[in-house]
Amino acid sequence: MNADRLIKLELARLNMHLPEKRISLKEALSSAKPQVRTREGGVHSFKRRELELLAELLPEADWEKLQLPIFIALEPKLGRGAARVSGEAEARVAGRLLGKEATGELRIYRPEVALLRRKLSTTTQYLFVW
Amino acid sequence: MATALGVSPNRMEVMKLKKRLGLAQRGHDLLKEKMDALVIEFLEVFRKIQDFRTKALKQLSTAHRALTNCFAVMGTLETTQAARETKRELQIEISTRYLMGISIPAVEFGGAQRNALTRGYSLHTTSSVLDEAAMEFERALGLLVELAEAEAVALAIIRELEKAKRRVNALEYILIPKLKEALKFILMRLDEMERENFTRLKRIKAILEERR
Amino acid sequence: MSYKIAVIGDRGTTTGMALAGATYTHVHAKRDETLAKLKEFLTSDEIGLVLVTHRVAEELGFDFRLMMRTKRLLPMVLRIPDKTGYVPGVDELRETIKRTVGAEIVVKKEG
Repeated sequence: MNADRLIKLELARLNMHLPEKRISLKEALSSAKPQVRTREGGVHSFKRRELELLAELLPEADWEKLQLPIFIALEPKLGRGAARVSGEAEARVAGRLLGKEATGELRIYRPEVALLRRKLSTTTQYLFVW
Repeated sequence: MATALGVSPNRMEVMKLKKRLGLAQRGHDLLKEKMDALVIEFLEVFRKIQDFRTKALKQLSTAHRALTNCFAVMGTLETTQAARETKRELQIEISTRYLMGISIPAVEFGGAQRNALTRGYSLHTTSSVLDEAAMEFERALGLLVELAEAEAVALAIIRELEKAKRRVNALEYILIPKLKEALKFILMRLDEMERENFTRLKRIKAILEERR
Repeated sequence: MSYKIAVIGDRGTTTGMALAGATYTHVHAKRDETLAKLKEFLTSDEIGLVLVTHRVAEELGFDFRLMMRTKRLLPMVLRIPDKTGYVPGVDELRETIKRTVGAEIVVKKEG
């Protein structure tokens, strides 16, 4: 049963880097040190340049809706190499960056994941789902 | 083999094994996703490293040339003296950021650029070749800080990849096959026992019928 | 948090970096001294980056590599060429990559 415990520990570790609570783009922009607390008790900072990019891609009215970090969900069920961005504002802004239409949910593939991660390296995070 | 796992053939054990197998498969699939994501991240930072390395090395060699020139024109002693007088309190801002369970440094650096007036050495006893050398090294330092950050991130990712790979392999080549084998064995055994039971019941029934 | 920069190498490197604002420098002469200085830098809470020349790192050999493997997240350590431009023939990063990631990248290209 030791192996099982190790697997469960690994699974628990997968999402440990994620924040306890996300903050909106609006809040991040107005903060001197835009950051979130991770579940492990660490601090994850957002790069201002990325916040400004996101602000350009969304109308000001939506800044409160966009929750950061944006989650790129990896779920084995989606198939290897596939990922998903959920959330109205999140999917929309990711779509705009990638040049795709999106409503509520955006399915993306490995090269698009790479592009999102490159442009928004601190404002996106991988989320493992099972 | 199933008895090596210490389980007796019964339906409870089948359920337990199926659960364990499911867990192992899930762990395996997710760790593979994690590895894929880590490779994406790695390729990106590696690209940056190659770019930074080329730029930094070029700038560093320029800086050394300027310094050699300075040593020649101003003298070694005078140059090292000036270096001692320089304000040497350069700060870099380092915070942590997280990438899938790895903590990596996030560096903010405004750059080392100063000018002859603000460096701290006296302008009377030094010449412009010193300013040149200092400026080139300031530029080099800026690039080296970025390179250091990128290399630190790359190493952290590699370490995590190694860990994940070992686990995926352990699951794929050891645990999952073992569980599948045990499950197969138990199901076979249960099947056998059921057939034996069935035959036994038939015989008992036949005996009872004879007695009538 | 704010951190300072340290440099270990030959006189040229340390002088140049000092001119650029690096706070702590050590000119390499004797192996034991340099190892001790490196340890000091690696355990300091003030230092965020240590620059070491390739030549010195090579001379320190196994001890240097061990310290790299066992050090904390900070300070970051970067090896740089000195004025001769010397870089070792074997790129350690590339070798590490080939060992771990290399296989993954090959699979990716095919699959």
